Amino acid sequence: MYSWRKLREKLFTCLIIALSVLAIAPVLHIILTVFVNGFAVIAKAGTSFFTDLPPTPLSKDVGGIAPSIAGTLLMTAISLPIAVTLGLFAAILTAEFPSNPLSLAVDAIAKPLASIPTIAVSMIVYTLVVVPMKSFSALAGAVALAVIALPYTYTYFSTALRSVPSVYREAAFAIAMSRWGAVVRVLIPVARKALTTGVLMTVARVMGETAALLFTAGRFRTGVSFSPTAPADAIPLLIFDYILSPYAVWHQVAWGATALLLLAYLMVFLATKLIVKEVRL
Amino acid sequence: MFSKRDKLFFLSLLPLSISLLAVLVVSVTTIALRSLDALQHFGLALFASSIWNPEREVYGLLAPVIGSLTTSAIALLTALILSIPLAITIAEYLQGALKSVVSSIVELMGGMPTIVYAVWASQYLVPFLKQFAMEPLHSALPFIPLFSCKPVTGFSVFAAGVAIGISIVPYVTTLILEAYQSIPVMYREACYGIGATRYESIKILLSLARPAIIAALVLGFARALGETTIAVTTVGNSMYLSSCLFAPGYTVSALIASQFANAYLYQYAETVLYSSILVVVLIAIALSFYGSTTIVRWRLRVVV
Repeated sequence: MYSWRKLREKLFTCLIIALSVLAIAPVLHIILTVFVNGFAVIAKAGTSFFTDLPPTPLSKDVGGIAPSIAGTLLMTAISLPIAVTLGLFAAILTAEFPSNPLSLAVDAIAKPLASIPTIAVSMIVYTLVVVPMKSFSALAGAVALAVIALPYTYTYFSTALRSVPSVYREAAFAIAMSRWGAVVRVLIPVARKALTTGVLMTVARVMGETAALLFTAGRFRTGVSFSPTAPADAIPLLIFDYILSPYAVWHQVAWGATALLLLAYLMVFLATKLIVKEVRL
Repeated sequence: MFSKRDKLFFLSLLPLSISLLAVLVVSVTTIALRSLDALQHFGLALFASSIWNPEREVYGLLAPVIGSLTTSAIALLTALILSIPLAITIAEYLQGALKSVVSSIVELMGGMPTIVYAVWASQYLVPFLKQFAMEPLHSALPFIPLFSCKPVTGFSVFAAGVAIGISIVPYVTTLILEAYQSIPVMYREACYGIGATRYESIKILLSLARPAIIAALVLGFARALGETTIAVTTVGNSMYLSSCLFAPGYTVSALIASQFANAYLYQYAETVLYSSILVVVLIAIALSFYGSTTIVRWRLRVVV
């Protein structure tokens, strides 16, 4: 009896550890294969990978992904302020009036809003922005990205603001600060690192989003454009199209672009970790 | 209820902060309005057959709807098998630096762009699954309808399910871990107090967390349902409805990703696609609402 309990304990531990290793094995394999395949392509193409146009399907040359890099930068730059502003205001509302019915409603719909498929958002923005403007545009893509980022940004920010101990707010009121004054000069400064992390996580989400751009951004790959009202491309969109294509050279470009995207994501992720490390209130 | 100053503050926050509510309302209304045409013209017959023939304006969404539900179910099973052990390992077996490294890896997986998963899944996971899961299962158990067809390319409902499952593992793990770690320490002390081994105490704690774990899985299912990029690259994109998991299929989001761009050329194609996503959106919102309220209620009950 006693030894069976002991044996069962050992078996259980082994099974749990083995399944856990299996659970995180994919991510390690992903990072390995993406970097091995991708950096070979980037090394072959050299710096022109960042400055050239994508190759034609049958060309021997790998070319570059300059239009996609420009588009991703542009759309991230447009969508980030939108998502951050709206998310911050909503987070201030729910942190300052936690029991107000409206706050409860905002808080309760954050998760359902995040569960709307990103491709649905793409279709909605297509109807509301692309059709009235009569053209795909970086602006439409950025609106779709902002909508997708909003519930996440809100959640990061509201967690950040709620983690500020209430003594800070009480101290602010004790020296006769107004409520806005308390928010702007006490609450936000105290939570600034957690808020910065939230902004970075939003950047990570926005730059890697694919499905939201399918019917909004257009696929402008014949030049580098920074105009918000003109069609644009994005790195994930290029990867998506090229990995589904039958052409070998497009597959190579897709691997290179994936490595670049993953590298950018890892850097943003690392930055959030470095910031969090310093947070000690 | 408010003092005058509070009221001004509240009102100044209002316009921008109700954006979340506005976005939800506008989104659902837009999709519902755009799908009205199809629902009026075809009625529920739209969901009774599987056909995509815009030239003749004949549509049936049965295969993609079933495909979405099947892939999500497989994804959920995959996530279930991997997430609970991973959460337990992090909570019970790891300590110090290793614990924070593994938690960071889970976090890293959670935020990783899905297109990266999609590229990897289509180039490595699908051939791997074909060789080591689908072919053995088919040759060992061909009499079970789910495994009855020979995997040809490997791109199939099964492959898409596993790939999506891998991508939702971090999400489900985080939710389970949060619930598991929020169980008050006195329950664990009580377990050890009556002489339970670690396995026995984990079993008791898991049963205590069961409602939250089920809610986490419901949320995972809602997320798997809407996954697009991974689905398109692995599901095989075929309108043929099969009882076999190894045959290529479709999911709603994969159908939209491949057909929406040309849908404006036909009278009903666009609105049919809107009604297909309407179904998914409504299911996803309902499930995630249920899941998140269940977790909150569970926390109020167990974590006093």
